[in-house]
Amino acid sequence: MKSLRWIAVGLLLLTGIIDFYYGNSNAGFYENLWYVTGGIYVFAALVIAANIEPKFSQLAVFAYTLFLWTVWATVALQTGTGLDAVAYADKASEAILAANMVLLFRSTRASVKLC
Amino acid sequence: MTGSGFGKLSTSKLLIAAAIVAIVSGAAVGLGVGYVIHYDAPTTRTFYLFDRSLPFNETVFKIPHDTWVPDTITVNKGDHVVIHFLDTESTPEGHTYNMDPPYTFDAVVYNNVTQGGSVAGTFSNVNRVIFGQSQTATITFTASWAGTFRYYCEIHQPTMTGYLVVIG
Repeated sequence: MKSLRWIAVGLLLLTGIIDFYYGNSNAGFYENLWYVTGGIYVFAALVIAANIEPKFSQLAVFAYTLFLWTVWATVALQTGTGLDAVAYADKASEAILAANMVLLFRSTRASVKLC
Repeated sequence: MTGSGFGKLSTSKLLIAAAIVAIVSGAAVGLGVGYVIHYDAPTTRTFYLFDRSLPFNETVFKIPHDTWVPDTITVNKGDHVVIHFLDTESTPEGHTYNMDPPYTFDAVVYNNVTQGGSVAGTFSNVNRVIFGQSQTATITFTASWAGTFRYYCEIHQPTMTGYLVVIG
């Protein structure tokens, strides 16, 4: 379970850094939103690393990841924006993160039940 | 927490419920954002830029009588900007088109007013281009930085100055 948690922390930091990079480098618009989403990812990495309220925080991170993924997909389908290599990397990282959070959450709940 | 309703739900049900809430709310927010930004999405904006001589005596006023028309170009950040410069002056004099940093541009200068004639020069990633009498040009760049930036003719300062306004 520990390895799952540290993989999650790594993915959260990676996604946050990609978001910061995208906000800084993207010559488009609404780039400030990427700073906000990146900041939340880094904050979430700290929460997951510290294992604070894991049953709640892991579920929240999972939902947050899916939420952002859906927002991006919906906006991209409508407007054609956010379809570039950096955004694809960011969303691939988020997809792996979501799968990782499912495994981590299952593992956390299972260990609690065993106790 | 295990005594609450949240704790009593199975892991799978919790994950499914969280996924449904996240996806539904994400789609709702995405549709809203997509609707709002649809009108601001980066696009190609084309402008025609002319040189104009105002009817006053330069010697008396001690400033050039040349100006740009229009003297303000407003675009959104991320827009691809195409400027067709047309020399409509009757007096034989050259001009330059300069842009304030960090902007640079690509330019194709033509030998006559129709922009269909021979190409006098092609320039890439420059911040200054020179037009001879009756030459015209197509200037292109991407509005990557928000703010207000001068475009000007360095020969006819201070009057031949315009401003690119990029809304970020």
